[in-house]
Amino acid sequence: MSAENVELVCPAGTPAALKAAVDAGADCVYVGYRDETNARNFPGLNFSRPELADGIAYAHERGSKVLVAINTFPRAGHPQIWHAAVDDAARFNADAVILADIGLCDYASKTHPELRLHLSVQASASSAEAIRFYHESFGIRRAVLPRVLTVPEIAALCADVPIEMEVFVFGGLCVMAEGRCALSSYATGHSPNTSGACSPASHVRYVEKGEKVVSQLGGFTINTFGNGEPAGYPTLCKGRFEANGKLSYLFEEPTSLNTLDLLPDLIAAGVTAFKIEGRQRGRAYVGSVVKAFRQAVDAIRRGEPVPPMVLAGVTEGGRHTAGAYERSWR
Amino acid sequence: MLTHRAAQRSRPVDMPFSPVLLAGLALAPVPPRLLQPLFDAILSVVRRRHPDILERLAAYPDASVGIHPVDLPFVLILDAHPESPRLTVRRDFEGVPVTAVIRGPLAMLIALAEGRTDGDAAFFSRQLVFEGDTEVVVALRNAIDGAGIDLQADFAATLGPLARPLRHVFGLGGRLFGRIAHDMDTVRSALLAPALRGADAQTARLNELEAELTALRRTLRQRERRA
Amino acid sequence: MSGGAKLSLGPVLFNWKPEAWRDFYLRIADEAAVDTVYLGEVVCSKRQPFFDPFVPQVIERLTAAGKEVVLSSLALVMSGKEREAARALAAVEGFMTEANDLSFAAALNGRPFAVGPFVNVYNEGTLAYLARLGARRVCLPVEAPASTIAVLAAQGLAEIEVQVFGRLPLAMSARCYHARSRNLAKDGCQYVCADDPDGMPVDTMDGKPFLTVNGTQTMSYRYHNLLGELEALRRAGVGRFRLWPQSCDMVAVAALFRAVVEGRTDAEEANRLLAELTPEAEFANGYIYGREGHLLVDGEALAV
Repeated sequence: MSAENVELVCPAGTPAALKAAVDAGADCVYVGYRDETNARNFPGLNFSRPELADGIAYAHERGSKVLVAINTFPRAGHPQIWHAAVDDAARFNADAVILADIGLCDYASKTHPELRLHLSVQASASSAEAIRFYHESFGIRRAVLPRVLTVPEIAALCADVPIEMEVFVFGGLCVMAEGRCALSSYATGHSPNTSGACSPASHVRYVEKGEKVVSQLGGFTINTFGNGEPAGYPTLCKGRFEANGKLSYLFEEPTSLNTLDLLPDLIAAGVTAFKIEGRQRGRAYVGSVVKAFRQAVDAIRRGEPVPPMVLAGVTEGGRHTAGAYERSWR
Repeated sequence: MLTHRAAQRSRPVDMPFSPVLLAGLALAPVPPRLLQPLFDAILSVVRRRHPDILERLAAYPDASVGIHPVDLPFVLILDAHPESPRLTVRRDFEGVPVTAVIRGPLAMLIALAEGRTDGDAAFFSRQLVFEGDTEVVVALRNAIDGAGIDLQADFAATLGPLARPLRHVFGLGGRLFGRIAHDMDTVRSALLAPALRGADAQTARLNELEAELTALRRTLRQRERRA
Repeated sequence: MSGGAKLSLGPVLFNWKPEAWRDFYLRIADEAAVDTVYLGEVVCSKRQPFFDPFVPQVIERLTAAGKEVVLSSLALVMSGKEREAARALAAVEGFMTEANDLSFAAALNGRPFAVGPFVNVYNEGTLAYLARLGARRVCLPVEAPASTIAVLAAQGLAEIEVQVFGRLPLAMSARCYHARSRNLAKDGCQYVCADDPDGMPVDTMDGKPFLTVNGTQTMSYRYHNLLGELEALRRAGVGRFRLWPQSCDMVAVAALFRAVVEGRTDAEEANRLLAELTPEAEFANGYIYGREGHLLVDGEALAV
């Protein structure tokens, strides 16, 4: 794969963010419906049917693609909600749908053979065998890799599968294998896999205790932030816990993935598409991050080094990490 | 519902000095009811130009969100009912039950409303503080961010004569800034001191109580394990 | 109750000392009232070599005792070695295998297999597809509420298995939290996960027990316990109940669940006895009610 063909896949939680992403140079924008069919089912977020149709038109007029994430697992007994989501995406001429559930892949490939299917990170397909299974069974054309692999592992994978690979390059970082994490539902009763929200806002409380802010999820204390200390999302995996008599960020610090420096390596590894996380973020985030990565990819295309960019202002905890792409992270 | 007492306890981590803070000084003696027409106008413009905001909040018809520009001597209460929304200006939240409260410097709140700054980033950096029902806050944030508000353009398009008082508010801040910038620390402490009084002692006591509780829980568990 | 609900013993998820692991299974073979025993390293491929020497002996004894042996695959397959191991397991003849990762299911080429709880089967569409692929039995994910279980059981496409005892496997990661908690890298982990035969307790900052860590796996602090829900689940069509091994007396635990399944002991009495067997355990059953997984719902009839 060469830098010429790399696509920048950018998040949009609202029509305003979609415009911001397209205007900042996104090759693709990924979006979801305003319901439980996608993994960012947050209050006030996402697209109504008419908004999606308009958004696709806006993007297409400007040469960008729109991918529709339908990447939760249909609730037993209610598959029609998810089926309708796929049908409507096809009807609106979405450029692809991003799916995680085997049954839904089966439905989409049979009902809309012309519709391009991408495999969501939520499917947690971390090996060539798993990816080939989705490709051979449902004609999946691109897989979003779980954030568990190192760059050499990704390179080996790319050489071993006949379809495109998409990797996360910036934003929120799941430290658990995606789609296989029940931490949030253990604390809140709402499964990210079926209801589409990890650490749902309805179960988050920020309690001010004097100088400290205490963040709680489902009544469990996840973290406290002292005066001036940067805060993070109230997700369990970014909380502070006590184990072995030691208080620490046992799973992960509040931090964001940032791979600006790794982009040339990822291109060399054969990756086709770079994904920016953050459909739940504002359009200011979308605009600035997309612009930074647009410049980086364009620089690599011209054979120039990646320009240094300051994105600390939008990262969780003001920090960033190369995550699982570097072996030492494990 | 938060009571005003719970709300009073809270304050943002850092209140940066800003021209708006100084504008607040000038506005301090102004009764909130004189400002109400301005906010009625703002709401009516927003409703007309961005109907999708209330649509995105439709799931929370009874939500009442307190907005506290920490550098101004008044607060706003947004009742997000889709048919009859209201944006009320008051001196404080005293006696008003609110579902959630958002606090931050006015400049940041306006930047948020206009999508010029990222709400999560503002929260990570602790410049934005919220409490109460987080779901309503997140919904409001997303609804406003998604609307693509541009206050100047919105007002230029619809407001006409009413634009003047608003410009006056912002202009006042600028003029004041020039005049008394040399004494900003005095101004700042004069404004904030009453709000902060007693906070340190309260913090110390809270920390103490919490440490005691945690220790107690551990002892209990160890006993259980031995038993 | 219970026309013929079966009991399974899930694979040991913890890193027990290899001899303890062997002795555990030998005793299970001789004494435990379970129909099926799942065997294999599901959590971390680095542990597998330690158990390998004992596997043939354990399989032989379990089989001789009339128990069905199912070989479980790794849950998160990444490295070349792990992929090789999966291929080798898929080629094993004479045993049913349990796929805990889709890559493994794909490698079976249509032979009958069981689907483990680490594969996401949440709905009838996925169940139907996997059944066409050869799935004969599906152990549902921890989160699955009774409403989901009932729909899937009613399809009649594969035997439905439900987790009913033990700390719940909640999440998998490429990162090892046991090693991280001791400031070690995963590559040089010194196998510190072996120090905690029931997982390493993880408390919240205010001292509330919350989770446990088992190497790369994160589990519940509370023990899942569906003694009180067995009958309703059985009526909903669940064919099989899975016990997760803990370091307590699993023969006695299995006997209790068996007694309730066969209607010889009522759930209330069994719960009292289970609490005696596992004095340190706090119990939870929230997931089955569609609630928080850590909750203990008490005195409410399970609607299915």
